[in-house]
Amino acid sequence: MNTLIFSPSPHIHTSRTTSGAMRHVLIALLPAVACALWFFGMPALGVLLVSVAVCMATEWFITRYMLRRPSTLGDCSALLTGVLLALNLPANLPMWMVAAGSVMAIGIAKMAFGGLGCNIFNPALVGRVFLLISFPVAMTTWPLPDGGFGDADGATGATILSMIKLGNLDPESLDMSKLLAGDMGGSMGEVSALAILIGFLYLLVTKVIKWHIPVSIIVGLVAVDLIAGYPPLVDIVSGGLLLGAVFMATDYVTSPMTGRGMLVYGLLIGIITASIRRWGAYPEGMSFAILIMNGATPLINRYIRPERFSPRRKELAV
Amino acid sequence: MHLLIYSILLLGGLGLIGALVLYVTARKFHVEEDPRIDAIASLLPGANCGGCGLKGCRDFATQCVACGNLSGIHCPVSGPETLARIASILGVDAQAQERQIAVLKCNGSCQARPQQYVYDGALSCSVMDAVAVGTRACAFGCLGCGDCTTVCKFGAIAIDESTMLPVVDSEKCTACGACVSECPRHLLEIRPAGRRDRRVWVACSNRERGAIARKVCSAACIGCGKCARTCPFSAITVTDNLAYIDPALCKTCGKCLGVCPTGAIQATFTMPKVESKPADVFQTI
Amino acid sequence: MKNTFRKGGIHPAASKIASRQIHIQPLPMVAYLPLSQHIGAPSKPIVNRGDKVTRGQRIAENASFVSAALHAPISGTVAAIEPSVLPSGKPAMTIIIKASEEEHAADTEARRNYWNDIISGVSDRTLSERLSGDEIKHRILEAGIVGLGGATFPSHVKLTFKPEQQAEVLILNGCECEPYLMCDDALMCSYPGRIVEGVELMMKASGIPKAVIALEDNKPEAAAALRSAIDPQYDITVKVLRTKYPQGGEKQLVEAVTGRRIASGALPLSVGAIVNNVATAFAVWQAVATGQPLIERVITITGEIPESERCNYLAAIGTPLADFPFTLPEEARAIVGGPMMGRTAVRLDAPVMKGTSGLTLLAGKSRRPVQPCIRCGACVDACPMGLEPYLISTYGRLHMFDEARVSDVADCLECGACSWSCPSSRPLLDYIRIAKQRSRK
Repeated sequence: MNTLIFSPSPHIHTSRTTSGAMRHVLIALLPAVACALWFFGMPALGVLLVSVAVCMATEWFITRYMLRRPSTLGDCSALLTGVLLALNLPANLPMWMVAAGSVMAIGIAKMAFGGLGCNIFNPALVGRVFLLISFPVAMTTWPLPDGGFGDADGATGATILSMIKLGNLDPESLDMSKLLAGDMGGSMGEVSALAILIGFLYLLVTKVIKWHIPVSIIVGLVAVDLIAGYPPLVDIVSGGLLLGAVFMATDYVTSPMTGRGMLVYGLLIGIITASIRRWGAYPEGMSFAILIMNGATPLINRYIRPERFSPRRKELAV
Repeated sequence: MHLLIYSILLLGGLGLIGALVLYVTARKFHVEEDPRIDAIASLLPGANCGGCGLKGCRDFATQCVACGNLSGIHCPVSGPETLARIASILGVDAQAQERQIAVLKCNGSCQARPQQYVYDGALSCSVMDAVAVGTRACAFGCLGCGDCTTVCKFGAIAIDESTMLPVVDSEKCTACGACVSECPRHLLEIRPAGRRDRRVWVACSNRERGAIARKVCSAACIGCGKCARTCPFSAITVTDNLAYIDPALCKTCGKCLGVCPTGAIQATFTMPKVESKPADVFQTI
Repeated sequence: MKNTFRKGGIHPAASKIASRQIHIQPLPMVAYLPLSQHIGAPSKPIVNRGDKVTRGQRIAENASFVSAALHAPISGTVAAIEPSVLPSGKPAMTIIIKASEEEHAADTEARRNYWNDIISGVSDRTLSERLSGDEIKHRILEAGIVGLGGATFPSHVKLTFKPEQQAEVLILNGCECEPYLMCDDALMCSYPGRIVEGVELMMKASGIPKAVIALEDNKPEAAAALRSAIDPQYDITVKVLRTKYPQGGEKQLVEAVTGRRIASGALPLSVGAIVNNVATAFAVWQAVATGQPLIERVITITGEIPESERCNYLAAIGTPLADFPFTLPEEARAIVGGPMMGRTAVRLDAPVMKGTSGLTLLAGKSRRPVQPCIRCGACVDACPMGLEPYLISTYGRLHMFDEARVSDVADCLECGACSWSCPSSRPLLDYIRIAKQRSRK
């Protein structure tokens, strides 16, 4: 006897999955991870492994012992948060700080809100900002890349942005090719603009993300730079801007749903970032800008609805 | 010293101005409200279940005061004591309201109605009902996804794992009627709880011909009419092959229980089983 | 660049794997004819139990203007008028006709001759000039023709409108955007001339001077066949659209063809268009030119079954689904219609009805475990009506029906693009349907 299955339509489904999207982002991050390992060597690998391990362990512990639900590690989101957090940290950060940031990212920013899909703020960025505010010295002391795989030689320095901010460096005198390749101080993942752009292209081709957010962030940033009279190109490739624009701001959960909403979101991130960089106390403002706009995302979703197919017969009060 | 005086003056002054503003607005925008509304609202359960047909408990209280009595308005959730106290606040006599309860008009357990089809979709009776008959063939019976359990604000309904049918907890049920309006097949009915918790009802909703109904479910009402003929109080009617016991006429004598060939009539008490031959019944229909 | 509708849409695998040939399915010995095979009031039976009926005889009439007549697909005796099962397993009032061996043999012979005549016979192209519009409409009404694309709206109602409602274009829907289904494609390839003649008759009936036959670019053979069948005397054009689901949706199709958008809750007539299915045009030609009412239709049997079994059948309405030759997979979903909007059947003894465009047999369950919504926006991008499926679905699940109404749930086509596209496999449409139903009250 054959069994008949009944089910509401539709009866076929796309082959895309949530964990598949996460895996695509991980693949897109590979060039940036490779660059980080190349420039910063073993310490970078340590930070990466600790971050990933603690993120996944935290999520497993919370689902197993606190929520008593099946494990959600299979959706790869904790893995992704771990990688993103590592890429946002300096390679020489003490391991216990990395672990603390990871616990903060998963435990507080993600699971406390209800897990995947329920968080308001990007977990990796919450982890980073938590560390930045708690341990400002450790978080802003960057190892200088030694240009090859191996231990960083212990030399540390400031990022280009903070040097410029302190007036120690003239932005006009920088060598663009060095900046693109990533030969500068900074967080593990943010140094090589080229690696991030390769990842961006991959994400566009696989249709994991849309162009709206990264492009509008850059547009917003450039607009403020032009007003402030600052070379925009240097601003784009230095600091965490590209990493943030491509991988952090485009996080599905914390960004708007519609194309138009994304443009508003991106523009404002760009403007806030540039404003913090130009006129704020911090040399870098990307993480703050994204977190601020994460908070504004529900509002954007509420007021920027998709354009309806049908012209309205009469306007309904919302 | 001066600093201290200035601070005290400044903060005290601010406080005074604030108090004045509050006083003036409270006076100016004061809405005269019958204190009885608050008094009644505090007695009500506060679940805002909508069982009274109004938007919530406060609406009920306002309505009570507006009417001045409890006629034509009833909170099924509050017990008779609460209603009596509300009535005393209103200064009227409480009419004795019979306690009511929800009953399930389906007895198609897993044994009576084995699973025939497999469902693949959102676990909700409404969704399932819109697609097909359900996993257990009967087009009138319980779908078993538990929409009634999720709408019940009092936790009075739970799905029995062995029968896959919802069971109403007579202690917790307040007859608010949320399950009645939620069930896509209208299988729940609010009936009087009965004296000493004795009640009898037809636990089936199948309106198809007896043979067809019996084929999909061994506990189906086949509309044979034996119960109607047996009932000494003419409380039972059979329409569209389905018996119905009128709670207003039923004296819960339980005679119908014994004659039902399929056991479609349910009661909260047991009767010594009267000799019956199901096979004969089928020959007569 | 070919036209298509602008908003949303998805590209599911077309899976048009059935053969385009139309086989003739033998007439059934017992035919089941539910009284409600169309939108509107159920037909009113005009025969009684025990009556002799002949093939094509009217057995139920229109109960009101928006209703349709019903005809006997086989000669025989009315065995019963009683509730019988629909594919969903739910009972519905049905006229059951039983044939004797002799009646069956005679019907089969008559039917063979009829179809041979259609293939070889010369058509009378002057018909649409000789008959008046009202006469054609009357014949359509008499023949019980309804929209054969699946919506089953009575055709005579669609063609009737007040003169001040200026209709400018008659759109013939040959998109067949549902994956798997091929019945319209097969019909267009086999009988392009008859379809075009049906279009001419419909133009005359409605008084619309211009007609557009719209189909998707995955059916080049059908487009070529129709183009060569068009009589230049009439303003009929074939328009090939870029393939995208749900192009066959009325509002999407009108936009793709005319560029005009229909307001919420309005009919295509509000922008001067009337949409009919190509199979309906064929049925109109049959009714008007040959006098055969709607007692047969083409259906596709397809899906995950052996290749030799995947084909189109010319089937009498009322034929039980189980009569068709197919091997049911071990754990099967038998979908009446296509996989996007079709409804699964649990009773295969239920009949083919006027709106049955096919039977898609798929193996196993399709739904993956539900994961949390990550607000990726795939459903918002996919929705052809520009709604927010993730939001409305949540409203439906949480019984927030007022909010759902304000979010324009009434516009939902139930096309399933949202559920199809969700990477977290959320049952979006399941709950949207609840929200749509219950927010209407």
